[in-house]
Parts: sequence; C-alpha cells; structure tokens
Amino acid sequence: MPLPAYLILAALVFAIGLFGVLTRRNAVGILLGIELMLNAVNINLVAFARFRADIGGLIFTMLTIAITVAEVAVGLAIVIAIFRVRRTIEADHLDLLRG
Amino acid sequence: MIAETVGFWVMAVVLVGGSLGVVLTPNLFHAAVLYLPAALVATGAIFWLLESPFLFGVQLLLYAGGVVTVVVFAIMLTERLVGASIRQGSRFVFNGAVLAAALFVGVVGFIVQRAAPPAPPAPAGEQMVALGRALVGPFGAALQLLAVLLVAALLGALYFARAED
Amino acid sequence: MRIGSPALGLLVLALPAASFLLIGVIPALRRAGRVAAVVSVAAMGGALAAAVVMWQGARPILEGPPRNPSATWSWIPGDGGPMATVGVMVDELAMPMCVLVTFISFLVQVYSYAYLHDEPPPSLGRYYAYQSLFAFSMLGLVLAPGFLQMFVFWELVGVCSYLLIGFWYNKPSAARAAVKAFWITKLGDLGFVAGIVMLWAATGTFDFWTLFGLADTGVLAAIPGLSMIMFLIYLGAVGKSAQFPLHVWLPDAMEGPTPVSALIHAATMVTAGVYMVARAFPLFALTPDVLSVIAWVGAFTALLAATMACVESDIKRVLAYSTVSQLGYMMAAAGAGDHHASVGHLLTHGVFKALLFLGAGVIIHVFHTNDMFRMGGLFARLPWTGVAFLVGTLALAGIPPFPGFFSKEGILAAVLNGGFRVAFVMLALTSLLTAFYMFRAVFLVFFGRAHGHAEAHGVPLAMDGVCRLLAGVTVVHGVVLTFGGHHGEAPAWLPWASMLLAGTGIALAWATYQREAIAPSRLSAALAPIDYLARRRYGLDGVYAGLYRIVLLGVSRAIGWVDRYLVDGVLNVLSASALRAGDGLRHLQTGQAQDYVYGVAVGVLLLLVWAHLTAP
Repeated sequence: MPLPAYLILAALVFAIGLFGVLTRRNAVGILLGIELMLNAVNINLVAFARFRADIGGLIFTMLTIAITVAEVAVGLAIVIAIFRVRRTIEADHLDLLRG
Repeated sequence: MIAETVGFWVMAVVLVGGSLGVVLTPNLFHAAVLYLPAALVATGAIFWLLESPFLFGVQLLLYAGGVVTVVVFAIMLTERLVGASIRQGSRFVFNGAVLAAALFVGVVGFIVQRAAPPAPPAPAGEQMVALGRALVGPFGAALQLLAVLLVAALLGALYFARAED
Repeated sequence: MRIGSPALGLLVLALPAASFLLIGVIPALRRAGRVAAVVSVAAMGGALAAAVVMWQGARPILEGPPRNPSATWSWIPGDGGPMATVGVMVDELAMPMCVLVTFISFLVQVYSYAYLHDEPPPSLGRYYAYQSLFAFSMLGLVLAPGFLQMFVFWELVGVCSYLLIGFWYNKPSAARAAVKAFWITKLGDLGFVAGIVMLWAATGTFDFWTLFGLADTGVLAAIPGLSMIMFLIYLGAVGKSAQFPLHVWLPDAMEGPTPVSALIHAATMVTAGVYMVARAFPLFALTPDVLSVIAWVGAFTALLAATMACVESDIKRVLAYSTVSQLGYMMAAAGAGDHHASVGHLLTHGVFKALLFLGAGVIIHVFHTNDMFRMGGLFARLPWTGVAFLVGTLALAGIPPFPGFFSKEGILAAVLNGGFRVAFVMLALTSLLTAFYMFRAVFLVFFGRAHGHAEAHGVPLAMDGVCRLLAGVTVVHGVVLTFGGHHGEAPAWLPWASMLLAGTGIALAWATYQREAIAPSRLSAALAPIDYLARRRYGLDGVYAGLYRIVLLGVSRAIGWVDRYLVDGVLNVLSASALRAGDGLRHLQTGQAQDYVYGVAVGVLLLLVWAHLTAP
C-alpha cells in the first residue's frame, strides 16, 4: 500500500481518539482515548520509517511506547487516588480548578 | 502484493472498528477489554505489514498486555461494581464529532497534496541488530533520558501507592 | 574702566557661603547660638575686608579695547560652547555694591547679636545661618556675569527673604507676610525668567559681556520683540524692588526682626531690581519705550508710597513706605537714562536707610511698641540716638551737606534732562512729602510730650554703636560728595528748588506735630480723598485678595475637578474595565479538563487552517 494510505488511517484513528477524549465522562474513558491517539502516532512513525528507510522512526516508536506505558501507569494511579478522596471520577465533577 | 493489500484493509477495518467501539460504547468494561485490545492488536499487525516484526512483538507485549491489564485494574478500583453496571454517557457528542472531523479533514488535506513516494526495498540485515546498534549509538542519549523518565514514573507510582499517613 | 581681582571676588562669595555651610551642616554649632553668631560675623568681616581690598586694588584699564571684567567657568554643557556659565564679574558697578552689601550685612549681624539677645540659642543659630545664606546669595547676584546666575541667586535671595521675614514663624502674621512676600515677588519673577529665556532663544547666550557686545554691534537691536523681552525682564525688578503694583509685600515684610528689615528691605535685597536694571542698562538702552515705562512707574510709585507713609502710625511701616518711595526714585532715574544717578542713590540710600531702620530698632527696644503716637520725648533720654536718627532723616529728606541731597539732585536732574516733565513734578512733590513724613516721625518720637514709657536701662552697645557708626559714615559720605562728587548737568535752579521743597516739608511737619499750630485732623480733612485712600492703602490688598480667591482658587478648583474626574477617571475606567474583563474571562475556566482539550484542539485546527493558507 502506498504511504498515504497508512497516513490517512493513522489520521482517522487519531481523530477518533480525540473524539473520545472530548466526549467521555469517565476519566478512564478519557485515558483510553489518549491511548488511541498515541497509537495513531506510532503508526505514522513506523510508516515513515518504512518508506524513508530511516531507522530513527522505529527508535522513536519504541520510545513513544515506553513513555506511553509509563504515563498510563502514573495516570491511572492518579485516577485511583482521586477516587479515594472524592469517591467519583466523573470528569464533570472534577472541577477544582474552576475560576 | 495482494496479500499485503488485503491484509492492510482487514486490519484497517478492525482498527477503525475497535477505535469506534472504544469511544462509543456505553459499557466501559467492554471498551477496555474487547475493543481496545482489538485496536491494539490490529495496530501491531500493521507494524508487521510495515516490515518491523520487532515492534509487532513490543506492541503486543506492552500495549495489548500491560496497558490493558492496568486499565482493567483501574476500572475495578474506581467503580462500585456491586449492583450498578459500569455505564457511562457522553457529553457534547456533536461538538466533539465536528471538531474531530474537522481535524481529520485538515490533516488529510495535507496528506493528499503530495505524491506518494515509492516504497524503497526492504531493509537488509537483521532489524534487531540495527535497532540495538542505533539505541546505544546515535540515540544513546534518548535511551538515558527514557531511563530517567521511567524512574520518575516509578517514583510517582510509589508516591501514590503509599499508605495514608 | 576698572577691573577687580576675580580671586578676591570669589573670596567675598566664599566666606559667607562657608559660614552658612558650617552653621547649617553642623547641628551642634547651630544649637550653640552665640558661637554660630561669632562664626557668621567673622566670615562677614572677612568678606567686607576682601570687598574693600578688591575695590581699592582694582586696576584701571587705560588703553586698548575694553576687557571682559568677568571670570567664568562652564556650568551647563552645550554643543559649541557651554550653555551656561558661572563666575564673577568684578567691574565698577559690582565693586561698590559688594562693599555696601558686606558692610551693611556685617553691621546688621553685629547689631542682631544684641537685638536678639533673648532668643533661644538654637533659634539664634538658625538666624545666623539665614543671614550668611542671604549674604552669599546677594553677593552672588551682584557678582553674576550672566542672567542665568543672576536669576538663580535672585530666587535664592527671595527664599532668604521668606525665611527671615518668617523668622518668628509662630506668629501667624509673620508667616502670612513671608508667604505674601514670596508670592508677590514670584509674580515678577515669572516675567523675569520668561524674558531671560526669550533673550537666550534669540541670542544663544546668557552672558552679560557677550550681550553687551551684541548690543554694540547692533545685532540685538535687530531682534523683533526686543521691547517685549526687556519689559518681561523689567517685571522681575518690579516684583523685587516693590514697584507699583507689586509693592504690597514690602510693608507687611516689617513683621520680621528689625535688623532683617534694615538689611533686606532697605539696603540690599530690594535694590536687586535697581541693580539689575543698571547692570543690563546697555540692553535697556536699546528699548526706549521700556525705559519710559520704567521712569513713569518709578515716579508714580514714589508719589504713591509717600502719600501712604504720611498717614502711618507704625514707625517701621513709615520707613517701609519710604523705602518703596526711594526705590521709585532710583527706577525713575534709570528710566530717564542715567543709571549712574540711580546707582548713586542706591549706595547713599543703603547706608542711611539702614541707619534709620536700626535706629528704629533702638526706639522700639526702648518703648516696646511700634506706634509713634505712644512715644515722645526720647531726645532728652537718648540724645546720641536722636542725633544719629536725625542724621539719617536729614539725609533722606535731602538736606545738604548730607549725601541724600546729592543723590536726589542727580535723580531729579536726570529725570528733567530726560524730558519727563510730569514725572519730575511727581518726584518733586514726593520730596516735599518725604521731608514731611520723616520729620513727622522725628517730632512724634523724639520731641513733644512723652506719651509712652521709656525703658530705664540703657541701650546695648552693639546696637547703639552700630547706629553711631552708620551716622558717621553718612556724614563722611556727604562730605566726600560735597567736595568730590560727580554732579550731573543740572540746571542751576535745581538744588535751590529741592532745598526749598525739603524745607517746606520740614516746616509743615514742625508746624503740625511740634508746635501743633495746625491740627493734623484739619490737614487730613483738607486732603480728604487722598487721605481716605491712603489710609486704606488704595485698596490694592483687597484687589490681590480678590484675584487670589476668584482667579487662583477658581482655576485650581477647575483643575482639581479635571484631575479627579477626567485624569483619574480615565485610569479608573481602565482599571474597572480590566477587572470586569477579568471577571468575564473567568468563566472560561470551568475547571473541566475536557474543555481545555477543546481549546487545544481548536488551536491546532486553526494552525492547520493557517498552514493550509500559507503553504506553497
């Protein structure tokens, strides 16, 4: 398949992930959306690595995966901590930063 | 060739379907256990199609294995399972859809402007060896920084896991 | 021409300045009043010696082109030479003036030591600090080589006048008088500074010698509006030398201690205006219309003040109006074109007016009152004081061989030769009135029935000695003028006419107040309208008060309104809108993380659009 096919696929998944981040009420649901967006980025990177014969793309992807995993772990830890205190993780109720 | 094309389209459908399922299904458990792993595995297959089997393995191990597990744990710990089902709604669906669609259109607009470059020949030699050499060679600094980041993440997780004083 | 040594000129300036700095900067010195007095008097004595040496040692320049008598140093830099300079100009005009200022200052400071003997020491120290500062300022003005330095010291002299008039600042009348003096002279100074700056704008210099050169070559005469410039500069003299209508501050300035009145409001500060006109005379000579104004205003002031002196009962006020009147004489002579006569009268008047004021100080000390109608018969008790006072009075009235006769004759001659007939008549009439009111004072205080209660103990030596010294100087001066003085081209009848006028005035005073052949009330009834107006000072004080209330306060109220509602209003509106905008924008912060993601996504979208639009 030509390169644009992979790129359009990645863009589509990214948009879907963004939609999830914007609309989900549950905090974990939002994190799932973020997962999808990062996934799409990885597809992009690997596609370019293949079509430009550049191994840097693969390295970048590995780093991204590692970072994402760490971020998910810490992010969910935060969610659990919030749940302990506020007994809710609905994004609508977490508005302490309200001006 | 044909196999690759067919494989691509199948995986693409699975990926997109799984993604839509993640963001649209009202049942969070379904999203985390069914649709998300489907999308992640499809992504891994696409990596395989793009001539990087190593990343396919990494994807399956870390994402489909690790991340999904952690997410499931989180859901368990943050929802009252007894009685109420794990339901959730969505807010401002229309706005979000419009915005996401607009972003998609914008990016695609850029993509189709350029002609597709031809696929260069498959990379020779062991990909693993090349990856290893690159990691400790030109990208060594990135590796070190990643290590620091992981340590920070560990500390963060430890902090959150500590017993209440 | 004769030029003195600039080094001596600087010494004359430096000594009182050093005295002021010492007394001002060292609080311990100031609090020990007597020591401060000694320091100040010593500095003044040194300055006097230096001034005399400078004058006597001045070398005449007999041949060659006129040389610049000033020594200057650059002060404000500018391109193409300094913009302003400071220094000393030691020529024939400055040197005798320096001697007069230092001499009278020295005597007044000695006199003050006794006059203010029951003043608390810190207050005394403050007094001598002010006296030293005043001497320094006046000398700086006299020795100034250019308009800018003269203006700086002009203002400084005004400040010293304020400080010294208001020396007893706990007295409300003294404080008011000090402020009044400052403000009225400030009105004149507005014109002065405007004129100086306009002159600089037209010629590029403040320096007198340079300006005189420009006047000689005709460059100055070609400047349009030169009359306006010189008139504005003259306004400064109007304020400082108490010409009509800015004369109202001088009588009120008598609230200060009597030695201060003798020094500042008789001999030195008020003469600064006359000195300035004399100094800048080559410039004034180019604008004859301004000179006419100067002459007319001078003559009018002389007559006006003399009428007011005739109805005063406070002895210091009589002398104050007399000073205003004599300043009018000096200005009239300058306006008529003879600034030598003007300065001549300045020098003689400085001595005998100081004598009269210091004598009045003795009189007040003895009677504990200023009211002449409560005095009387003092001659029997203090004959030598009476003689000294009489010497001053005769000099002021213009009786030969006293110096006042010669200097007044010079002025009358100048005015007559200048063609100012009506002004001459005014001045002649003023001579008669001068003799009248001065001898009225003498008869009321020294002769006749003793209405008041005179002090039993004697007068301190410092006070009496100074008066006798000044009387002696007056007599010597008169003798010198009789045999060597410069007599102007006066018509032969003039000396006899002026003696006749003075004699008439004395006779009238004798008849009214000594022999009481004429009742004063009938005299005032005969001249009822003038008497009425003179007693009320011609309503000028009321005019000023009204102007102040209506114009000044009105304008300041308007400006206050503008400041509060428009200027502050703008700022308040700006800050209020900032606050309201902040309040409004606050609602953007919903605290919901997804809303912020919306923001980010929209931003990215905008970036994409922009990239699309600008992409090649």
